Amino acid sequence: MKLLIIEDELALNQSIVAFLSASGYICEFVTEYSAAVEKIELYEYDCIVLDIMLPGGSGLQLLKYLKQNNKTDGVIIISAKDSLDDKIGGLQLGADDYLTKPFHLSELSVRIAAIIRRKKFNGRSLMTVGDMEIDTAGQSVKIKSKPVELTLKEYQLLLFFIANKNKVLSKNAIAEHLWGDDMDMAGNLDFIYVHIKNLRKKIVQAGMEDPIKSLYGVGYKMQL
Amino acid sequence: MKLFAKYNRINVLATIFIFVVGSVAFYFALQYILIKQLDETLHSEQQEIHEYAEVHHQLPDIQNTKHQWVTITPTDKPLLKRKIGNYRYYNEREKEWETARQLLFSLNINQQYYIVSVSKSEVETEILLKLVILVTIGMVALILLLNFFINRSIINRLWQPFYYSVDQIRKYEIKDKQSLSLPRNSVNEFNLLNESLNSMTQRIEADYLALKAFTENASHEMQTPLAVIRSKTDMLLQQSELKEEAIKNILGIEDSIQKLTRLNQSLLLLTKLENTQFALNEEVNISELIEQKLEEKKELFLSRKIDVGRKIEPLVLLFHQQLAEILLNNFLSNAIKYTPAGGMVNVELNSTKLVVTNTAANGSLEEDKIFQRFYKAQPNQEGVGLGLAIVFEIARAAGFSVSYSFTNNQHIFSVHFNWK
Repeated sequence: MKLLIIEDELALNQSIVAFLSASGYICEFVTEYSAAVEKIELYEYDCIVLDIMLPGGSGLQLLKYLKQNNKTDGVIIISAKDSLDDKIGGLQLGADDYLTKPFHLSELSVRIAAIIRRKKFNGRSLMTVGDMEIDTAGQSVKIKSKPVELTLKEYQLLLFFIANKNKVLSKNAIAEHLWGDDMDMAGNLDFIYVHIKNLRKKIVQAGMEDPIKSLYGVGYKMQL
Repeated sequence: MKLFAKYNRINVLATIFIFVVGSVAFYFALQYILIKQLDETLHSEQQEIHEYAEVHHQLPDIQNTKHQWVTITPTDKPLLKRKIGNYRYYNEREKEWETARQLLFSLNINQQYYIVSVSKSEVETEILLKLVILVTIGMVALILLLNFFINRSIINRLWQPFYYSVDQIRKYEIKDKQSLSLPRNSVNEFNLLNESLNSMTQRIEADYLALKAFTENASHEMQTPLAVIRSKTDMLLQQSELKEEAIKNILGIEDSIQKLTRLNQSLLLLTKLENTQFALNEEVNISELIEQKLEEKKELFLSRKIDVGRKIEPLVLLFHQQLAEILLNNFLSNAIKYTPAGGMVNVELNSTKLVVTNTAANGSLEEDKIFQRFYKAQPNQEGVGLGLAIVFEIARAAGFSVSYSFTNNQHIFSVHFNWK
């Protein structure tokens, strides 16, 4: 899977590249508009991570360019402007998703995974992770060919873990993914524990080895 | 007191004073002249009597009239000087006391002295005086009355532009983005006032916009460094060789970034609510949205052992989807954060209002401060104190009103939809 990271803040760009590369993506990165246009003209990407404000031009122009040239690259906008500003503009121009800065890299990762699934497999993807088989269209999970009943939150949690496998996920990142960032957690993240416990119980009951590790005081990690 | 009333009071008092003083002076002047005339008549009568006596050496035969009469009495002691004065007498015919002017002088006819008294009734003079005074008073009253009405209508008309300006200023809100443009008019003073006000509000507006832009820009500029820090902590956490102490520090940073991010987003939202005209043209199913939000936050309520009661009637409002969500989120987040464990939260919706009630932990909040920015009931509390300020601004943008009250140890927050 090939990604293009277009972000003018080099420090952020490097973090994104490092994190996503470790997740198995092939990442290329640029920090300027002209370089981005060049890359887009020459290559095709599974997903483009696009900052709106760029030296030399606007990310929205790039979106227009992609649309005019019938490019099918998936696009996720990362912007300092929040949804009340130009989310609609970006999405209307053909972006697939929108993430407001600052975000957790794990959140970016799960969104990219979702975009690629939708784009590549027309949303009809069957994912196989170890003994698990996940139908993202039907939102159903089978372990060793036997269906496992998951609640919506448990299902979202599972996809989040899979998109960030072998990554340490802090409780904050998990809570923000499941409940959105408009939620003020007020320091009490215990309810996350309940969901994770239930998910692990169901996986183990289905006869699979528990892939989720608790890292005491830090968070969780799915090891596969 | 109105300027006109104040001016009028002084004016009327001064006018009355001048007219009273003038009338009194006029009265005395007139009286003086009339008496003088009377005296002249009496003197010429004396003259005639003297002349007659000198020529004929006998007393004249005098016809008394109703208003003038002469009495001649012989005497041993002639007057050294003639005397003139008033005396009162009883008029038989009119049956009343009247005043007469009397001139006394001596006459010598054939070595016999006489005292002659020539009297003339003052009734006519008095009548004339009375008439003149009456006419004067009538005129004064008429002038005052006319003055009052003319002033009132003219002054009211003259002040019209002033009241118009005041009305405009009263309606003016710097947040409305509708600048104050008071019109020119024909009165220099009002022109000066309007021009000064116009330029003053223009300056204030420019400053206000600069300040708003500053807040918005500052918040935006903060997003990128925050994103960098957050991505770096995410990366740091991935390093397996980290010691527990280091991890704790990283998580501490992560928590603070999260708080800073929220604070920043809240500030951004607040400035945006003030700077932007939101089109309130989306049909938002409020009742469904509430159910959805309550469902989303079910675990949060559960984890704090908070009971949620609801009485929700179906309601669709012309509103803004995202603003509606933020408004509900803030109410519910507050309820989760500040309801003590085992407490109760109630959400009530009908066509006129949304009411969110929750059990209080520490008594009543300050009603007049609760919707202010950075208000905290306790200084050490978790949130940043912008949630309700945002609710307030959203309600304002939508033309709703918000209120807070406290009864039975419960905080009651209401949004009234104010149907027009």
